Amino acid sequence: MRIKPFHLALALVGLVLGLLLSVQFRVTRDTVKFPQVHRVNTMADKINDARTERDSKQEQINKMREELDKLAAGAALGALKEELVDARIESGLTGVSGPGIEVTLNDSNLEVTNGGNPNWYVLHDEDILKVLNELRAAGAEAMAINNHRILATSEVRCTGPTILINRNQRIAPPFVIAAIGNQDTLINSLKMRNGVIDSLEPWGIQVSLKKVSRVEIPPFPGSISFDYARPVAEGQQ
Amino acid sequence: MNKKSSYISIVLITMILGVMLAIQFRTNQYLDQGVTADRAQEMVAELSRLESDNRKFDRDIDDLTYKLEQARKGQTQARDAITDELEKAKMSAGLTSVTGPGIEVVLDNPDSTGIFIRDEYLLKIANELKGAGAEAISVNGQRLIATSEIRLAGSFININLDRTEPPFQILAIGNQEKLKSSLEISGGLVDYFRELGIAVKIQTPSSVTIPGYIKDLQYDYAKSVKG
Repeated sequence: MRIKPFHLALALVGLVLGLLLSVQFRVTRDTVKFPQVHRVNTMADKINDARTERDSKQEQINKMREELDKLAAGAALGALKEELVDARIESGLTGVSGPGIEVTLNDSNLEVTNGGNPNWYVLHDEDILKVLNELRAAGAEAMAINNHRILATSEVRCTGPTILINRNQRIAPPFVIAAIGNQDTLINSLKMRNGVIDSLEPWGIQVSLKKVSRVEIPPFPGSISFDYARPVAEGQQ
Repeated sequence: MNKKSSYISIVLITMILGVMLAIQFRTNQYLDQGVTADRAQEMVAELSRLESDNRKFDRDIDDLTYKLEQARKGQTQARDAITDELEKAKMSAGLTSVTGPGIEVVLDNPDSTGIFIRDEYLLKIANELKGAGAEAISVNGQRLIATSEIRLAGSFININLDRTEPPFQILAIGNQEKLKSSLEISGGLVDYFRELGIAVKIQTPSSVTIPGYIKDLQYDYAKSVKG
């Protein structure tokens, strides 16, 4: 049989096929070596499911609380109810809204000078702590950072370019701190001479302040539980 | 070989080739979104946090279901249910005195001419303890709640608008090991404070009592949002 161009084509196709097969085999084998790649998708699905579940439970709980509050409509319970509303705001269990300000903090836009420490030009957990503290001193009634409610137990910790808050949830700059309270007092507390803003300025850290007539602060999306602390029985202190 | 069968075989081979190319392409796509160990770890943490929230929410729902049932029975039961709900909210807000295993940190100037203990140091200690999972913290008897400030005012430090001065006694309830190591980690706060010349004493009593926030809460600006 004479070799026709068609045979050459066949041989070429065979060659490519073989190559592909071997590459495919190796890639597949490598993929198996990295189980995360496979798992990530199922993980992401699981996380989404759990989040949806949590949100619907949160909604159910809010409705039940409202219902309970309605049932306690009697005059004798009025005072109790008021106390309950306040305690829930302080604990972060309810979302709140009201006049307030938004503080936006971002890393420096200055170029690091020769011999300068680049660390001086980025925001630190300490800077955020100070801003939150000033706002509290100025009477902020509720605060959130990047929509994470600030609780009594909220930490702010630096990890490289991101910051951890509320049980290791990661947030990245720009950091937007929302606070409800007297707008002028809040703003003045940060703008004070030698205050927080003055201390950040030399490093070019960008701070912007904005009055917002209605700041929305979300509740803490979880249950607040205590594993170690127990209430002290009355009269035992 | 006749022409027809050769066409068929070519069609077949090209089809297989096509399918393989497609598979290959998809596999490569997966590889491109390769996940670093850090991200995977973060996802695991996120999932376990959500799952634990869901378990706690289930308990809240059971609890509220019971309270609603009780409250429907009459005013007395409604009062009990609301009172219990109030106790829970107060506990979460830090209005209740609590007791539990914990840590006691005392910061002091070794002598009156020593280093000035700044408000920032107390802020940092509190923050570190919160990060280590402290469930309740007080400084010189002032419970730290969500709106508590720790701020220099003249020569004193104000906490909850209450004047305090050294020595500063910081109490925290939580996992003792975690609380202690969060401060004592090498290059951590304790090292830093000692370098500054501040006297630092740390103890881990098996039971610490932390008072609740005693002032009245008042909200002039914030209104609670329904549902």
